[in-house]
Amino acid sequence: MIRQSSQGLLVALLAPALLGLLVFRLYPIAIAVISSFYTTVHGGTVFAGLGNYESLISDHVFWRSLRVTLWFNLLVNPIQIAISLGLALLYVRKFPGASVYRIFFLIPIGVSVPVAAIVWRIMLSQGGLVNGLLDLVGVAPQPWLTSSSLALYSVIAIATWKGASYWMIFIVGGLQNISPELYDAARVDGVRPWQRLLFITLPLLRPALLFVLAADVSINFLLFAPIYMLTQGGPAGSTDVLMYEAYKQGFIFGDMGRAMAMVVVIVAILLIVVGLQFRLLSAREQEA
Amino acid sequence: MAASEVRIREGFRLGLAHLGYAAIAFVFLLPLWWAVVSSLRPNASVFADVFPFTAKALTPSPASLEAYEGIVQAGFGSIILNTLLVAALTTIAGLILNAAAGFAFAIFDFRGKRIILSLVILSFMLPFEAIALPLYNVMRQLGWLDSIAALVVPGATNGLVVFLFYQFFRQIPRDYVEAARLDGVSWPNIMLRIYIPLSLPTCVSAALLLFVFQWEAFLWPLLAMPSQDFKVIQVGMAAFQQQYGTIWNQLFAVAVVTALIPIALLLPLQRYYVHGLAGAGIKG
Repeated sequence: MIRQSSQGLLVALLAPALLGLLVFRLYPIAIAVISSFYTTVHGGTVFAGLGNYESLISDHVFWRSLRVTLWFNLLVNPIQIAISLGLALLYVRKFPGASVYRIFFLIPIGVSVPVAAIVWRIMLSQGGLVNGLLDLVGVAPQPWLTSSSLALYSVIAIATWKGASYWMIFIVGGLQNISPELYDAARVDGVRPWQRLLFITLPLLRPALLFVLAADVSINFLLFAPIYMLTQGGPAGSTDVLMYEAYKQGFIFGDMGRAMAMVVVIVAILLIVVGLQFRLLSAREQEA
Repeated sequence: MAASEVRIREGFRLGLAHLGYAAIAFVFLLPLWWAVVSSLRPNASVFADVFPFTAKALTPSPASLEAYEGIVQAGFGSIILNTLLVAALTTIAGLILNAAAGFAFAIFDFRGKRIILSLVILSFMLPFEAIALPLYNVMRQLGWLDSIAALVVPGATNGLVVFLFYQFFRQIPRDYVEAARLDGVSWPNIMLRIYIPLSLPTCVSAALLLFVFQWEAFLWPLLAMPSQDFKVIQVGMAAFQQQYGTIWNQLFAVAVVTALIPIALLLPLQRYYVHGLAGAGIKG
């Protein structure tokens, strides 16, 4: 297919991007695995075999982090996807004045995670706006970010506020791909709106939803910035997700080998979870 | 009579829809609105009307620009310029690199193309956070820590953007290329004269993705610039929070400025941004 003359061109076009992905995406993964077998002694690196992994297994802080990470993900992903789906269904509806609201739906995309963290931290403070508004309806002020029973849920709320619009866009893409004629036919046949959602929209959205699920789980498994800025893993380790714990081990305690071992564990669990999702949710498609 | 009843019912439903949409819009807008209002107050009165809450809390009174003067004195002018520089370089380099790769994938057939292409797309699925810590080791080996290259180069190659260009270029009829080749037009000319002009909307989508990604980057610049001489906006803001956590109005001012720049880009160009992301989700 390719003639000799265009082969040089092909290499010139592809090489920069592929090299970039190789050196800055793939190679770091190899580095993480290799470094996880080494430990730092007096500033030098020494081969430690599985030592880092063994010490993780016997470390209750690691297990607590793992538990926090899994619990966080079990809650935040279904919540974010359900809300994004709802927003997407509203986003594509057409009625006089709808376009004005679309702009508001997109606001959190321009708001970075650190900005959301700063603003929400002040909003959720003891005398902050949230407690002020709740006071109007008679709810006592809550220590949203400073109590170990509430902090994780406050982080979930903030992450959802920031993330929902982003994932909404992918679902909107899926919705716009569904032929309007299908809906017209359904209306002629007297299909009710909830039946339309359940039997037409959701099945046809499966590819988009599967993509959003995988991408959203990946982001939330590796959540770092909100924890760094809002709670620093506290209070009492209640928000100490694995990624923050890994950062702490590597860049505060200087134990890079241990940090890398943790990153390897997180990414391995993530790959298993995402793999399972594709397995389970695509298999159902074949049956249908 | 039946017709007017229908009209009333429709009007009622429209009103209900507006109410529901307005409530959601309010939730999205409220934090930013309060941030803007509070950044325009003197620090001592940020919480003045909040608890107990009065509607005055949502207006900038008393008004003052002291917070914005404060953050300029704290050096945020140069931090913003730093970030604009990094984001602009990333966007330009990213457009060239990823468009070239997308073009190659769309036009040429070669061995292993499908596998390489799916690896490129998968690389986007793995968030930057996953490789940030080991990437620090790579940069130390390269000696790039504390240099702008450490921020720009890894951000420039982006699997999602390669995919966007690939998807677009593939739709352009091959007849164009074949006719041009028969007329003896060189490949670079085909690219510059036919493909690039047609792909301007895709370029806008891609540029927005690259720019917003770099503008919002946090963990990687935090690690890649250990000496903190060259700060980008998100890291500068986090450091400011840790150091001056109770200068509320200045914190709000920094947050407002940091959010305003991407929002100012996204609002007029939202169509392109939505199109860029939505297109990726369908096929990805």
